[in-house]
Amino acid sequence: MIDLDRETLVKMIDHTELNAHSGEKKIANLCSEARAFGFFAVCINGGYTRYAGELLAGSGVVVCTVVGFPLGSGTGAAKAFEAAEAVRNGAGEIDMVINVGALRDKRHDYVRDDIRAVVEASGPALVKVILETCYLTDEEIVAGCKLSVEAGARFVKTSTGFGPFGAFPEHVRLMRQTVGPDIGVKASGGIKNFKDAWRLIRAGASRLGLSASVGVVEGLSLYKFAPAAWLEEEIPCHFCPARFANLDKQPKAVYAYYKKKCLSCPHLETYNRYYE
Amino acid sequence: MNGWMGKIVKLDLGTGARETVEVGDALRRRYLGGRGLGVRLYCDLFPRPVDPFADENALIFMTGPLTGTLMTSGRYQIVSRSPLTGTICDSSSGGAFGAAFKAAGLDGLIVTGRAPAPVYLAVRDGAIEIRDAAGLWGLDTQRTQKAIQADLGAKASVASIGPAGENRVLFAAVMNDKDRAAGRGGMGAIMGAKNLKAIAAAGSAPVAIADPAGYKDLSSRLDRMVDKNPVTGKSLQVLGTSVLVNIINAHGMFPTENFRRGVFNDAEGTSGEKIAESILQRQSACYKCPIGCGRTTKTKDRSGEGPEYETVWAFGAHLGVSDLTAITEANYACNELGLDTITMGSTIGCGMELCEVGAWDGGLRWGDAGKLRDLVTETAYKRGIGADLALGSKRLAAKHGRPELAMQVKGLEIPAYDPRGAQGMALSFATSNRGGCHMRAYLIAPEILGHPVFLDRFTTAGKAELVALFQDVSAVVDSSVLCRFLQFAVGISTFAEMLRTVTGLDFGDEELMTTGRRIYTLERLFNNRAGFGRGDDSLPPRFSTEEFQTGSSRHRRVRLDGMLDEYYSVRGWDGEGRPLPRTLAELGL
Repeated sequence: MIDLDRETLVKMIDHTELNAHSGEKKIANLCSEARAFGFFAVCINGGYTRYAGELLAGSGVVVCTVVGFPLGSGTGAAKAFEAAEAVRNGAGEIDMVINVGALRDKRHDYVRDDIRAVVEASGPALVKVILETCYLTDEEIVAGCKLSVEAGARFVKTSTGFGPFGAFPEHVRLMRQTVGPDIGVKASGGIKNFKDAWRLIRAGASRLGLSASVGVVEGLSLYKFAPAAWLEEEIPCHFCPARFANLDKQPKAVYAYYKKKCLSCPHLETYNRYYE
Repeated sequence: MNGWMGKIVKLDLGTGARETVEVGDALRRRYLGGRGLGVRLYCDLFPRPVDPFADENALIFMTGPLTGTLMTSGRYQIVSRSPLTGTICDSSSGGAFGAAFKAAGLDGLIVTGRAPAPVYLAVRDGAIEIRDAAGLWGLDTQRTQKAIQADLGAKASVASIGPAGENRVLFAAVMNDKDRAAGRGGMGAIMGAKNLKAIAAAGSAPVAIADPAGYKDLSSRLDRMVDKNPVTGKSLQVLGTSVLVNIINAHGMFPTENFRRGVFNDAEGTSGEKIAESILQRQSACYKCPIGCGRTTKTKDRSGEGPEYETVWAFGAHLGVSDLTAITEANYACNELGLDTITMGSTIGCGMELCEVGAWDGGLRWGDAGKLRDLVTETAYKRGIGADLALGSKRLAAKHGRPELAMQVKGLEIPAYDPRGAQGMALSFATSNRGGCHMRAYLIAPEILGHPVFLDRFTTAGKAELVALFQDVSAVVDSSVLCRFLQFAVGISTFAEMLRTVTGLDFGDEELMTTGRRIYTLERLFNNRAGFGRGDDSLPPRFSTEEFQTGSSRHRRVRLDGMLDEYYSVRGWDGEGRPLPRTLAELGL
């Protein structure tokens, strides 16, 4: 059974609009939907923080602004400035992108300092750290989570939505195991429907970053009328990061890591049998 | 009254007598309008099924509480007993006729009797005028609509039949707003039997909205939801419904040569992509529709609307034809003469196989694109082999001793999805109340397109529950009355919000699902009384005995029996497919 009601679900959602081509009209629509559905937050680019804040005044919907987005490879000082300005403009939460390259280079002190600079600049605003899991091995994801917590972040987050793939249950599970119950885990990227969302919630996500928020909530309303169909047995490979590994878009080493992992996976036989 | 106009008229064409049908608030709430209220009114008039062509039979034109309001609300429904299948039938069409009809002051019109000579009806400002149509009889649908608009003004929206309806071809369509079709089930043949050539509607009565501020906000949110959904916001807009050609073919379930294969090697040449780069003139849209799935096209000699996916298939892969021009011109001919393209193409395909196996000497052969337009014309006038094709595939195959070669359910031809490639869709076809129809429960959405979620298309587990769910939601949408494409972007909660905003009544999603179930069960009761039972909830034997040898649906068969038992259980019906007394009590039937 899915023991999740609509009120709980909407309060887990950061309703998101981060496209480069989105203007004020899209932000206004986003805020209108967030008000109507009662989503926890809207997640937007910094240029629209003040505008969204005005539109959402009195609604209880938080404005969440992205920082160092989407690549994360700028300096810590630049990210800190961006975060401080966002908070001054009304942001209640900051989603910052980790320096992925530094993390993969194992420059852990640099990464920790980079995050801490943003946390300190954000003052009362809660900071989430986007790891961009599509570019990381499991070991790097664990390291990224630990560094985020050490630097004072309150959330770790899977993806920007601009990488080769988004959130997978396997990554969320690993992140939850690493950070424990007191730190938030936000799943984002590629969540298109309620079933995608449900898998991630079940894996440990406490917040969801979605542009398909409305469809996801509508999906929950359909679920209750046909629970058996929605809970049919699934082949894990259909939502495993290894299945989506892409040599053109991922670092060679990460691609090889996933392919190797796939070959030793107990689900491989099930997958092959399905496609016989 | 908000939402509804509050007026349904019953008109006897034989005597000219008319009366206002009293529909109480409770009945409106329980059946909404369109398909649901139409079926309710029809069943009340005919507790025992009558011959569809009998004078006393009724043909009911219905709008719904949302007609003429929010997006995609230009549609209308026609309800009666199908002359092709003998089941209850509702046929839906887009364009703007529904909105115009409602703006003329009516929610619905029940037409009974038979006019002594051809007539058409002019519905204006709540009044219905019976007008002479002797000069229109024999004209095709396009000329008929133009002639009536010349009489009543260009703003009149016209729904008319063509020669096929006049000649009572069992799958004659009603065409409106030029090329929009209430195609399935032969509603046009019933109009013909009543000597009713057309209905024209014009008016300016506004639909009262309960919550104008909420309406404005909801309209803008709906725009965004449609725009964001990849199906309604991209695929249907850019490539039309024929975007499905390559997708369904890639899944190895694009029925080819009367469902003998699942992959059509020339599919690319008839795809939405090909249409876009060859015959497409412009995208076209129905009343208040931001999607615009329609295709206005032009061949060397002609122009018109279409072909849509089902038509591309029916005159294309199904017949082994890859000539897009021939397919398109056969589509134009169906529009002009007033024929359902799905049944037309499917029946020709059945005829081709009958000829190939030597059961019929109709002279048909696979891939003969050059004959298509003539075959359509001969069918509309019941000339030559057209007299046989006008029977539809079930009667045609039975007549020539090979009933198993008709790809139909309850007499209605199965459209462009081979059920071996999607078990849920197989159950949907088998249990559809109006026969082999893809619109009752479009399981292609979850099984192929991943909406609202991807489900394993080859498993039967859970499909019964899902088919029933989709059937119920579809009944609600058809009764509201809106375009079914909206279901890709909008869920039951938002449909409830739309109804609340327009009518002011506190509709919730639970209530609407019960409404959908009530409508579906009522239709089933009618069909039971008309003699349909478990044996009719079946598919042609080909789907359970023959397998494809190539393509991604190879080595698959339909496994219906287990799903059917589960479906009846979910529905609260007995093992023969009859609603149980407790189910009827729960639904207030």
